[in-house]
Amino acid sequence: MPPTLPSTAATEYMLLFRTLGWEENLSPQQMQDILDRTLGWFDRLHAEGRLKAAQPLFEEGKIVSGRGGAVVSDGPFAESKETIAGYLIVRGGTLADALAIAQTWPMLEAGANVEVRPVAPECPSFQRILARPLHDAA
Amino acid sequence: MTPPESASSAPDRDESAGEAVHGLTEHLFRHESGRMVSILTGIFGLQRLQLAEDVVQEALIRAMKTWPFYGIPDNPTAWLLRTARNLATDQIRRETNFREKQPDIIAAVEGPAGGITLPRIADDGNEFQDDHLRLMFVCCHPVLPPEVQSALALKTLCGFSPAEIARGFLVSEAAIAKRLTRARRRLQEENIPFEIPPAAELPGRLGGVWQTLYLLFNEGYKASQGEEVVRADLCAEAIRLGTVLASHPAGNHPTTHALLALMLLSAARLPARVDAAGNLLRLEEQDRSRWDRTMIARGLQHLAASAGGTSLSEYHLQAGIAACHSLAASEDATDWPRILKLYDQLLAVNASPVVALNRAVAVARLHGPAAGLQAVAEIPDRERLDDYHLLHAVVGELEHQRGHDEIAAAHFRRALELVETRAERDLLARRLEDCLER
Repeated sequence: MPPTLPSTAATEYMLLFRTLGWEENLSPQQMQDILDRTLGWFDRLHAEGRLKAAQPLFEEGKIVSGRGGAVVSDGPFAESKETIAGYLIVRGGTLADALAIAQTWPMLEAGANVEVRPVAPECPSFQRILARPLHDAA
Repeated sequence: MTPPESASSAPDRDESAGEAVHGLTEHLFRHESGRMVSILTGIFGLQRLQLAEDVVQEALIRAMKTWPFYGIPDNPTAWLLRTARNLATDQIRRETNFREKQPDIIAAVEGPAGGITLPRIADDGNEFQDDHLRLMFVCCHPVLPPEVQSALALKTLCGFSPAEIARGFLVSEAAIAKRLTRARRRLQEENIPFEIPPAAELPGRLGGVWQTLYLLFNEGYKASQGEEVVRADLCAEAIRLGTVLASHPAGNHPTTHALLALMLLSAARLPARVDAAGNLLRLEEQDRSRWDRTMIARGLQHLAASAGGTSLSEYHLQAGIAACHSLAASEDATDWPRILKLYDQLLAVNASPVVALNRAVAVARLHGPAAGLQAVAEIPDRERLDDYHLLHAVVGELEHQRGHDEIAAAHFRRALELVETRAERDLLARRLEDCLER
């Protein structure tokens, strides 16, 4: 059954790559094999003109919470080692197309997972802020 | 924590990509892993072997996760080493007590100005080779039991994971992990120095290194256990380490060359050992055009270099036998008299029943199956081979050759009861059928 499309008119999809500590037990050879296939995966997306943006995230981050940001912790998932390792935005197509792309991500085989989210169009108020000349804001 | 240094250039991707070659040498990660553990142990000391292994693993993980986004850095090996070194430095800085305990390491980590001015980070071939050799001598140190030595060498020098080592040795991953932990603890307890042994100790210590490399090679070479692919890797690694040893002044010994010759000449025949369907082939059935000529040429060079002294080791004799096979155009054209002479010498050095069994095969080639069977009967301590499938396979073969098919069949059946691998079982079953059909 095809996934239900959200009501937004999304044409871009964000892939959030999660790692779960699966990489700890990989051997160097396995890592090189996965790297090689992942490079090929990026190359194909780029060649098809689907790749809009992509960046990895460093792991050493903090979570700020509480009134006045009083609580600064090492992250909510420190125990399960679940962190977002990077994101990628594909353009065009449907959610089903984006899922099909995510399903071929080579790191899935090693136990990672990827979250696919439709990216909503820029909201009108953000466009208003962008349109405003800089000296007005000061 | 210092972020890993990222590749400076944005992804530079070719529009025609798809079959792009990504420019990483085969086994780069595995080989770099051994190189980096050696270098980092040289910097931080053998007490920190575990730290070196951990940060190398982490650096490779970061490469795997970030290179797809940025592309491969111009100098991947430098990127990996820098990242691993930074991770190690961070780790050591976090240990507050460490400062008082290890002022010399801190001095090396932090230069006079307090910045990181690590020595020996330059990609200096010689300096690295020294570290690699130091670690090799550590892995083969006599305080470690032999099975621990080879596991440690495969982990630290060759970059295999415990799971991969376990598959090569047909033991559980937990057993390998235990061996590795024991090895690291023992090295710490005994305060083993990270050094190339002084000249006076060198001959004895080299013996330990040869033995470990030989064991490693044999694990890969023998057909009796493990996965085919893993085993080919073990042979390749033993040859790689032997080459490093032979090209270093401390390891450039005639016996090192003999061992290397033996490994190269034997491994050269591996591609022809099975047919397209994966069936094991006997020497006389092998397509000799599939033997690796480059390896044979290298093997013969090292065999020549092995003659440069007065030593005549078992490796010399076995390499000599391997060379006789490599140089022969066919089974019949093989210099069997020379092979028999080498086996006689080998028996004089090592009176093992397995060597005597191999000698009996040479006797049979030269003087016929009856003489071969006589040689089998005369093997000293023959009862030690009663449960060895190859004894019964050889006797079955020789009885078959002289037309005693019923006796031959009985021996092949006994061999079939004892054999462990599918490939060997299939070969024996084929021979049994040959006996029954006549």
